[in-house]
Amino acid sequence: MNQREKERYLRDYAILKSQGKPFFPYAVAKDSAMAALVLAVIITLSIVLGAELGPKADPTTTTYVPRPEWYFFFLFEVLRVVRPPEFVPFATIGVPTLCMILLFLLPFYDRSPERRPERRPIATAAGIITIAAMAYLTYMGANAGSPNAVDMKPPSSLTGAALTQWNAGRLVVGQSGCLACHRIGENGNDGPGPQLTHVASRLPAAAIAQTLRNPTAPMPSFQSLADSQPEKFRNLVAFLGQLR
Amino acid sequence: MFPPRSILGRHHPIPPVSSERKEPKSKYTADRGIPGAFEGETVTRRRLMTGTVHGLGALAAGAFALPALGFALGPVFKRQKFQWQSIGNVADFNQTDYTPRVITIVSGIGEAGKSTTYVRLRNPSIDTEPEDQYNRVIAISTRCNHLGCPVRFTEAAGKFICPCHGGVYDFRGVREGGPPVRPLDRFYTRIENGQVQVGPRYSVNSNLKRFSPRDPGEPVDGIGQYLYPSRFSTPQK
Amino acid sequence: MPRLKFPAPPIPPAFQPKPKRPGTGNGKVKPADQAAEAGIHVVDWIDERTSLSGGLRWLMFRKVPRGTNWFYTLGSATLFAFLSQAVTGVFLAMFYDPSATHAYESVRYITNEAFLGQFVRGMHRWGSTVMVILVFLHMARTFFFGAYKYPRELNWVIGVVLLILTMTMAFTGYLLPFDQRSYWATIVGVNINGTGPLIGPYLSDFLRAGPEFGALTLSRFYSIHMLLVPGLIAALIGAHLYLVAKLGTTAPPWIEAEEDPAAELHKAEV
Repeated sequence: MNQREKERYLRDYAILKSQGKPFFPYAVAKDSAMAALVLAVIITLSIVLGAELGPKADPTTTTYVPRPEWYFFFLFEVLRVVRPPEFVPFATIGVPTLCMILLFLLPFYDRSPERRPERRPIATAAGIITIAAMAYLTYMGANAGSPNAVDMKPPSSLTGAALTQWNAGRLVVGQSGCLACHRIGENGNDGPGPQLTHVASRLPAAAIAQTLRNPTAPMPSFQSLADSQPEKFRNLVAFLGQLR
Repeated sequence: MFPPRSILGRHHPIPPVSSERKEPKSKYTADRGIPGAFEGETVTRRRLMTGTVHGLGALAAGAFALPALGFALGPVFKRQKFQWQSIGNVADFNQTDYTPRVITIVSGIGEAGKSTTYVRLRNPSIDTEPEDQYNRVIAISTRCNHLGCPVRFTEAAGKFICPCHGGVYDFRGVREGGPPVRPLDRFYTRIENGQVQVGPRYSVNSNLKRFSPRDPGEPVDGIGQYLYPSRFSTPQK
Repeated sequence: MPRLKFPAPPIPPAFQPKPKRPGTGNGKVKPADQAAEAGIHVVDWIDERTSLSGGLRWLMFRKVPRGTNWFYTLGSATLFAFLSQAVTGVFLAMFYDPSATHAYESVRYITNEAFLGQFVRGMHRWGSTVMVILVFLHMARTFFFGAYKYPRELNWVIGVVLLILTMTMAFTGYLLPFDQRSYWATIVGVNINGTGPLIGPYLSDFLRAGPEFGALTLSRFYSIHMLLVPGLIAALIGAHLYLVAKLGTTAPPWIEAEEDPAAELHKAEV
């Protein structure tokens, strides 16, 4: 923005301002209506949703699944997605710091005099993409399942004992840490192991049991589970055998 | 010129640059024709008073800001003390499976100062790091070394799994998948009269070489040990 | 008796003092007139000693440009959410005990036993959410309307600092109930700071007041949450508002200045 453009803006602004209305009471009326709306929203949320208080902080836990407040979900999702350890500092410090610097210096690198959103395609597109990316990351972070449980509905064909076994097997999968390396439906990680969502369509149950006993490294063998708790092992195989 | 200066509030025309170079001023006030100047005086009374204002002001501000800052920064430089605490008989633990034990990390704040450690006896067939008096029993910290979430040992898979961002560690606590930057931390252990005792925490690199305790997310392999240096709070052995 | 004298042009006609209609009052002084007179007298007394009326007039009767719409209420709504947080926070502080051993119990007392406790805590808890949303909406409005450009660059920078301070409030306040969620979120948050090379380890020691989460951590977070950052926010909001009043709010970017420039300039010069 050069001197001429600055002066032009100030002149246009002086005209618009002279055609406007006094702040009090015209703008203040809108402001106070908005303030009343904000307060109504806060009070409604407080009455309807209340103030939950979870169980007391317990640093000795090994079963708790920490999740952040929703407005940090986007950062949480970034941390979940960035897997190689060498890139962790970039996800935790590097990218947020860079974003903050870009935000700080925005008026100093975007110096064009144009203000209309449709005539600033780069800035408008960058803003929309940023909002869309944050909304997407927030959505993904909010729906990140626990790695210790499979959230899945049983196939409708299962009833009675088979359903009980399916549910028991689902529990074993969660407790055994399969989801650390495999994805099952909405839960688990994409790798290093293959997706198991439809494993039964590739392998029959017997072959699944065989793989569990004699896996390819680095997957651990479940032979010891089959020996010590054969019931659990059968449930596990039954659950995996239904993933079509 | 359009628009007029009165709108823009520009009342500061740039003074014309003088064409002739001025002689540099003398450093003596007497030479500059300042009334009441003393012989050999170089500082005017006004400059002396201005300097006094700045100096005393800085002194006064420093007098409350520096102690407050030091007070806030104090804990960073305080060396921690530690105590060996007994967690049971040697016979309570075995080589093939982990037994969880709750230990106190920070005393005086009750439950909030405790932590869980997974304990097993050293198994020479898998624990290849050199043996000494501090690792006959292996006590693994449950803080994930990605960002400090509580890891859990899953027996069926024989792995430590972090519920936050998907970190996985093998039976020895070495990273196998996910974002953790180094193996799980350990605690010094010793055996006194058949009792297993746990001491301070230490970090290890991917070869299980010992380093002073780092926070999660700080690698100690290669250049990492210099980028994330040892802290002043490290307990003395 | 001195009367308030407003300069004529910036005052809308409805607010200008009018002489009494002839024939009303009949020379009798009614109690309402007396009360109004007393009020004006008090205001006059204060103004004579502070000269505040000039500043107030400058602030309240400045013109906002043509085309100002509902998007321009987001900033004041954020300010209002901050005031709500400040007031509810002060009253929560009356019951809260920032020690690792008692914090959870005191919050449980506020939530379950104190009169209106859950309501006030709920307002503070949801107020933070609303404030974060409003801050982002306000920033989005500023961004898409190009309102950060000349001459308002400095106000954008102050606004970004206020955004960071708001997020700091959200982060430090999250620990205070001291339940599982807050504890682990804080552990992760402090460790995120710790991953900064070279100074990171010392920064997280500073935040925790020690190498582990200890007795001083909670009180440190509490002090940051209710003294340090709110003070900074209040001061910066003051600077932010001063610049808004001085530079004026922007007009929506699609509104064109279209009037005979000569006439307008003449008006502006007067």
